[in-house]
Amino acid sequence: MSSQAHYREAHPLVFVITHWINLICMIMLAFSGFYIHYPFFDGFMGVARGMHFVAMFVILINLTFRVIAAFFVKTATDLGSREVDTDIKNWLPQEKNKHQFFETVKYYLFLRKEGVISAKYGSLQKISYLATVPLTYLMAYTGFALYGPTADWGFFMWGTELVGGPMNMRIIHYFMMWVFILFTMVHAYLANIYNFAPSKIIFLWKETEH
Amino acid sequence: MARTVIDPVTRIEGHLRVEVEVKDGKVVDAWSSGTLYRGMETVLLDRSPEDAFYVTQRICGVCPISHSHASAQATENALGITIPEGGRLVRNLLEAAQFLHSHILWFYQLTALDYVSPINALNADIADTYALAQAAGTRVADFGAVANRLKAFAENGQMSIFSNHYWDHPGYALPPELDLIATTHYLEALEVQAVANEIVAIIAGKFSHPMTSVPGGTAFVPTADKLDDILFRFLKVKEFVDTALIPDTLAIAPFILDATTYGGGCGNFISWGVFEKSDLVPENRYMPRGFAQGLKAEGISPDDVTEDVKHSWYSSGTGLNPSKSETQVKYEEYSTEGKYSYGKAVRAKGLPAESGPLSRMIVTYLAEAAGTDVTGGAADVRTPKMLIDSTLEALGVAGKPEVLVSLLGRVAARNLEAAYVADLALVWVNELVAALAGGEAKFWQAAEKDTGAGVGAWEAPRGSVAHWIDIKSGKIAHYGIVAPTTWDIAPRDDNDVPGPMEQALIGAPIADPERPLEALRIAHSFDP
Amino acid sequence: MAQEAHGAIYDLLAVRGVSRRDFMKYCGYVAATLGLSEAAAPQIAAAVEKGAKLKPALWLNGGSCTGCTESMAQVDTPDVATIVLELLSLNYFETIMAAAGEQAEKNIADTIAAGNYLLIYEGAVMMGEDGNTLLVNGHKGKDILEEAAAGAQAILAVGACAVDGGWIYAHPNPAGGIGVQSFLDSVKVATPVVNLPCCPTSPEWVVAMVVQWLLVAGDDPAVFLEKTALLEKKYHDNYRDADVSLLYPEYIVGSTIHDNCPRRGHFENGEFVTEFGSEEEAKGYCLYKVGCKGPQTYTQCPVTRWNRSVSWCVNSGAPCIGCGGLNWVDNNAPFFKRLSSIQMGGSLGNVQPGSVGAVVGGVAAAALVAHGLGMKAAGRIGDGPPIEEMKAYDRKRMAKGGDK
Repeated sequence: MSSQAHYREAHPLVFVITHWINLICMIMLAFSGFYIHYPFFDGFMGVARGMHFVAMFVILINLTFRVIAAFFVKTATDLGSREVDTDIKNWLPQEKNKHQFFETVKYYLFLRKEGVISAKYGSLQKISYLATVPLTYLMAYTGFALYGPTADWGFFMWGTELVGGPMNMRIIHYFMMWVFILFTMVHAYLANIYNFAPSKIIFLWKETEH
Repeated sequence: MARTVIDPVTRIEGHLRVEVEVKDGKVVDAWSSGTLYRGMETVLLDRSPEDAFYVTQRICGVCPISHSHASAQATENALGITIPEGGRLVRNLLEAAQFLHSHILWFYQLTALDYVSPINALNADIADTYALAQAAGTRVADFGAVANRLKAFAENGQMSIFSNHYWDHPGYALPPELDLIATTHYLEALEVQAVANEIVAIIAGKFSHPMTSVPGGTAFVPTADKLDDILFRFLKVKEFVDTALIPDTLAIAPFILDATTYGGGCGNFISWGVFEKSDLVPENRYMPRGFAQGLKAEGISPDDVTEDVKHSWYSSGTGLNPSKSETQVKYEEYSTEGKYSYGKAVRAKGLPAESGPLSRMIVTYLAEAAGTDVTGGAADVRTPKMLIDSTLEALGVAGKPEVLVSLLGRVAARNLEAAYVADLALVWVNELVAALAGGEAKFWQAAEKDTGAGVGAWEAPRGSVAHWIDIKSGKIAHYGIVAPTTWDIAPRDDNDVPGPMEQALIGAPIADPERPLEALRIAHSFDP
Repeated sequence: MAQEAHGAIYDLLAVRGVSRRDFMKYCGYVAATLGLSEAAAPQIAAAVEKGAKLKPALWLNGGSCTGCTESMAQVDTPDVATIVLELLSLNYFETIMAAAGEQAEKNIADTIAAGNYLLIYEGAVMMGEDGNTLLVNGHKGKDILEEAAAGAQAILAVGACAVDGGWIYAHPNPAGGIGVQSFLDSVKVATPVVNLPCCPTSPEWVVAMVVQWLLVAGDDPAVFLEKTALLEKKYHDNYRDADVSLLYPEYIVGSTIHDNCPRRGHFENGEFVTEFGSEEEAKGYCLYKVGCKGPQTYTQCPVTRWNRSVSWCVNSGAPCIGCGGLNWVDNNAPFFKRLSSIQMGGSLGNVQPGSVGAVVGGVAAAALVAHGLGMKAAGRIGDGPPIEEMKAYDRKRMAKGGDK
């Protein structure tokens, strides 16, 4: 059994930074969101709401930047490789990911012995990372639909009426937060299940040789 | 034999149909029918107890507070909550405000137009009106201005809410001056009932549909500024009760004395008891829980209640206690021989029973006569016995409480009750002031468990209300409601025994079957 | 008569002891209610004056509790007497009209025949048992509404029940209650309906719309709709399985209770009532934690207030229960919880979103731990995935031409 090295080419510094921003914003959003949902201690609502809005704008800008940067920044094409290509190519599912999907599921369900991977990310990984983009925008949409100053804009009102009123929108907003929490749990688990080398590179930009 | 139908019976809450069979100028048979089904008990299933508190009050927009209190008590009973003293006083005040509102509105806006003709008031001599008002000891106002206002209204030719009524019916027998006085007070009553409801709004946010007497006590905290707003409004309402409602009742009564000879009904009276004392014992409430047959006092328990559906539009089980009731609606053709009402035939100890002010006043009268305290030790409270005895004396039937069991008795009992409640309200405001001055007043108590079954049996202005709840893990597994009007407009039961209103109608004279004013008066006397 | 010279309404009012000054004051009030400037008062006075002949109106009760009628009796200015004697000719109004039975019914028929009337409808339209859940003298309530609505110039649907069925519409809606607009859609009656929210509705809003009609409509519904600021809201009527579009006066439903709440400052400060009837309540803290639905309820309650502006729900210490919203019971119950429960049906029944979230989160965490133990047992932990074998596998697949 062999392992792979984690080189900086996998996550260039700019993406290490956007990842940090994502993490911090997500923590702030989840914490302030839970507080706004039910204030579990006194004296923090104004701050929590401010935090929620600021973190939301930052994460939206960060996400937009990250998506655009994917078209310009080159990242490693493969695990344990310094060979690079445009990030978006490595991010979007590719031809060779297709056959991996069910095999990967089988692998994680202990139905096949060896893993399958041929690019920087596995196919499940690619799909879930990709999904975070529209999910985050959708989350922001549901938030704006609840937020007083924007709730009555036609664009948001349309969605509120579609889901059957502001209470349902609030519940959707709440449930979507759980989707992010689940994503984060699974993401952190799968990334670090073998060892902490992936965390060292994405957080500390420290390479691990093997 | 002619059938006369009144449908809709107007000037009531909800939808009621009354059908009578008239022979030789007398009602020989009668049917009362509730014609609306909304399915509340089904809607409540699997929701939280507080949802029942907020939803059940929407049975009735005229007595929502009583329903909310019955619902809250049912939950408290089920979950073993004892409401704090502050909560008790606030609830009593809230209930009292609604009673006063309801009784004033009922007398002037809902029933007075069966006796008082605003059209005939146009013939009044203004000077004679003042003289009559003074002689009757009733409230004097600018009768001339009111007469002019009516005149302008009548000359305009559009009769608005007074359109197309049989004002020329011989039953409208009051002198025009008394008509004018009563019409003036009709307009004033609109203002005063709103003042009573301002008290409701202060304590419970709004009327109708109050917000604060939640299970456990009350969410309302009386602060000094709110207490004086409450106190002085009660004084204002009490003044109107004393200077208009009571004297007007006594002034009109001599013209309708024949109404003491009919309209009595089944003669069984139920009261769940209302206005809590500190011990929170229903049999010891200011107006205690009790049952009366032939003016003899008995005990009563919510377990004694059954609901028959032989003549009601339900396909579910009959003869069940509401704690086990089923509500499976099934409409079929209206037939007085078959099914004819959405109301169930509710029975106490198997008997039809009248509920409402007459029942409460009789039950309280009998309890008082047996030595029960009904003032909580307070001086300056005119008790039901004092009020009834003095009224009987004024009408020349001293010592004959059986006269009460009649149309006129039912009308008078309601207004006398208003006087009693107005006096009590002031006692409770003062008790609340004392409690707040003493510091540690508590208003709400949390539940310590989330499962249990219970019943809240209480009184609305119009009658006896009880809610049965079964809570499992914080959710409603069963809910049963017997609303006040359900007692009074109950159809025939499984043994074809007519309900209280039906019995009250039977035997009543009907001067003109085309214009059944007497039947309307009897229906209205129940405040259905 | 002198009325010709001075304008009928002043004479009518003078006879009734109302001075010109009082009348202008009233018009100022109307102007304020309508959100116009007080400067508009003389204009309003002129408009009302023109309508000295009372506007015919029918007030019909459907599946109602009479609470909205009761609410009307608590109106501030103009008072009830003025409304029924001098503003509208309420030819049918079950709860306060003198006539009963066939004499009362005749008033409906006469008014419909004469035309030119407004219809005010309180309560839900009862569709259950083929429309027999509400009967008036053998006629189905819905049929009476259909006939009266078809001939009316405009309709005011007053209160939550008339808007969308109110609590009666709540799951499982055993009596088949729906709103006026939805019902009229189903019978293809196009008379415009203006909806007034809340349970009960506010009398001030009803009066404001009536006066608005008298002022601007000139007896033409199209003009009324054009000159009244209205907001459209859509919802799906589950009973009819149809989309319904409602018109509301914009000033009534334009902002949330939360935004106008006098306790909003305490919300921002994070000062909350956690227990009813507590010290915090005496201080007027925010009721958010005990389930106040003000943040998602769009009505003007904190501004209009209730019972002649004496108080309103939150002011008395109770959380808003959202009765001004659509399908208000299902969308807001349990009333003391932040989020409404979800109707899962079957043995699951009503479930709180928080419970769902906690269960899903807990299950996921447990699953990951279990999975991690499995990974350990399978010997996969340590050096990372068997990358070379994976690549070998991939190469083999790709050589075969990838996936088919």
